Amino acid sequence: MQITKFAIPEVIFGNGSIKFLASCARRLGAKRVLLVSDKGLEESGWVKKIQDILKNDNLECIYFNELTANPRDCQIQQGAKLYRENKADVIIGLGGGSPIDASKGIATIVSNGGNIHDYEGANRISHPLPPMIFIPTTAGSGSDVSQYAIITDNERHVKMSIISRSLVPNISIIDPDLLVTKSRGLILASAVDALAHAIESYVSRLASPFTESQALTAIGLIAGNIKPAANSKDREALKNLAIASTAAGMSFSNAGLGVGHALAHSLGGRYDVTHGLTLPILLPSVVRFNQRSCERKMAIIANTINDSCPAPLSAKKKPLSVTLYNMFEELEIPMKLREIVPDNKHMEEICRIAVKDACSVPNPKEATWQDLLEICNEAW
Amino acid sequence: MTDETKLHDLIGIEHHKLNFFQELQQNIKELKEINRESEDQRYEITAILDGITDVMMVLSENMEIISVNRVFEQLFPGVNPIGKKCYSLFRDTGEPCQECPAFKSLSTNSVCRNTAIFRIGEKNMQFDMVASPLKNHEMPGNQILIFKRDVTMEKEYQAKFYQAEKMATIGVLAAGVAHEINNPMAAVAGFAEGIQRRLTRLEQSIPEDLAEDLYDYTNTILKECLRCQDIVKTLLSFSRPVASEFIPVNMNQVAEDTIRLLDHQFRRYQSVKLSMNLASPIEHIYGNEAQLKQVILNLLTNAIDAVEENGEITVETFIENNHVGLRVCDTGCGIDPQNKDMLFEPFYTTKQVGKGIGIGLSTCFNIVREHNGEIVVESEVGIGSCFTVLFPIQ
Repeated sequence: MQITKFAIPEVIFGNGSIKFLASCARRLGAKRVLLVSDKGLEESGWVKKIQDILKNDNLECIYFNELTANPRDCQIQQGAKLYRENKADVIIGLGGGSPIDASKGIATIVSNGGNIHDYEGANRISHPLPPMIFIPTTAGSGSDVSQYAIITDNERHVKMSIISRSLVPNISIIDPDLLVTKSRGLILASAVDALAHAIESYVSRLASPFTESQALTAIGLIAGNIKPAANSKDREALKNLAIASTAAGMSFSNAGLGVGHALAHSLGGRYDVTHGLTLPILLPSVVRFNQRSCERKMAIIANTINDSCPAPLSAKKKPLSVTLYNMFEELEIPMKLREIVPDNKHMEEICRIAVKDACSVPNPKEATWQDLLEICNEAW
Repeated sequence: MTDETKLHDLIGIEHHKLNFFQELQQNIKELKEINRESEDQRYEITAILDGITDVMMVLSENMEIISVNRVFEQLFPGVNPIGKKCYSLFRDTGEPCQECPAFKSLSTNSVCRNTAIFRIGEKNMQFDMVASPLKNHEMPGNQILIFKRDVTMEKEYQAKFYQAEKMATIGVLAAGVAHEINNPMAAVAGFAEGIQRRLTRLEQSIPEDLAEDLYDYTNTILKECLRCQDIVKTLLSFSRPVASEFIPVNMNQVAEDTIRLLDHQFRRYQSVKLSMNLASPIEHIYGNEAQLKQVILNLLTNAIDAVEENGEITVETFIENNHVGLRVCDTGCGIDPQNKDMLFEPFYTTKQVGKGIGIGLSTCFNIVREHNGEIVVESEVGIGSCFTVLFPIQ
């Protein structure tokens, strides 16, 4: 058995746990924090709430929101400039994957300098980062517990994967109350992203008993709660999705992902689509591609899904790819690549880039760019 | 990105979440080292500053004291000078001192010097001051570095030296003159005696009143010759090089000798009445005759100056409580009470320019102190002064 490693931050979980934010920040030496979030969260009122919590504890707060859905390298530089100019200390990331990944990028530039491109790949950060606290507002990205940051390179139209233990935050405060303001579409996209994290990391070549159990927990919880959470915003279901997302995050952070995410990053870099949308389309094909190399694990995943929501998926013995396809179809998620991207002219280039993505490294079956192109064509 | 990511890169066993701890440790180590260095430097600078025996002050533009060295604390024990005005400490005034070289130093941006006398505590102290401007663009105002060197003793000794040199020159002169006068005097006295011898033979052949006149004249000549010889003898003894050894001295003799030296002065001021009241018998004291003569000479000179042209001077000697005393009293102008404290300070004088440099009484004080004696002053303005010198009988 190969030697593995399991690294996670301090996790504070529970409804209302956001109230510990100020004391957490103080413990990390905060006097003037940089809060990174986006306009969506301003509209939902959470940014104001966070600012009030900090203000009530006499903590100064610099606010940065110049972010798009997939954070860009130039935005990271802007954030780092703001941090330096205001002599901020602790970085608080509030939001889905984008503000949190942006926070990681800003932290990296602030203490390591240079350009975010310099840190693409694994283990390239050499100086300690400022303290970070992340508050996820979607149950999906898992970025708040992971050592991954995905930043879009505008010039090359690729999403860079930056992997470093230093990107694991000091504290992750997961308050399921923050999920209730999300739209159905966002809840679904996030949950599918988390499911993909769980499935890909479960079958990953780096999976270990510590990540496998987290992955299966996540898969079970997502399968059992995705519908009530999306359709009726059931509080309990949302809480379970939050747990699932965190568990999936712990799993993929340590076990890595697979070609599904590699392709999603590549497609996202070219067409600026969120991988919450790409993943349900790619995942059945990816699972089919990997099926042979991890039959037993695929069966366990299928069983876990079926055990969690047995009713509509009564027909047993279906391959996992079909189970997933049926599940996504039932949730009325777009299931064809052509529905979300304008053209397929750049597919070869996209696949050539994806094969080099750090995420494809631990995929259970080694994939060439042609293999990936086949997956894409199948999903087109 | 250049290298391809491998599986073991993703596991990253040897890569950890980087903490500030290591950096902190390094920083602490570096800071400690820097701190030690600056502490060493501080000790070195302190040692250098402590080695400076002059008073050192850093002043602001408006003469406010910013920092001082240890010598300052010796000068003003128990005073916290920081923030006080320099002139309020040294002069006890609310106005900056005229002679302060600080202003000139600032305006000319050069090192300036000056000398001034300050009254500090109960003493007059003379300081050589050196002011250098401290102009620093990073500091809001200009500062001045001032060194004050106590030169009181130096100046005192210098004055004494001049005086001694003068006295020695006079002594040599006096000795020479005395020697030259002795011979003609001996001749005059010899011839006067010769006249007297011949007179006895001529007594029968000249009229009686003429003989009487001649006797009278020759006696006067002889008497005056004798007096001249006495004066010469005193002059010679006064100008003799100072014997460092103390010998038994008769204060009456010393007083008489000294007064004889001043005879011409008294003759000039006919209206000044000098009376002497010398105790007899008197005990000997151990002392240096020449120095003691100088004491009496000084006291008498001051008395003559005090009475000016009209008044009385009394010189008396007495024995009291195992001490031999000498008192010189005058009915002169007296001493202003506020000047009384400063009488014995070197260079302190109320006399007109050219009349004295203010060294006399301070010299007296030193001589009396060397003889284990004491000097007491009683005075009232308009009535007169009495200086009493007491020497222990051994």
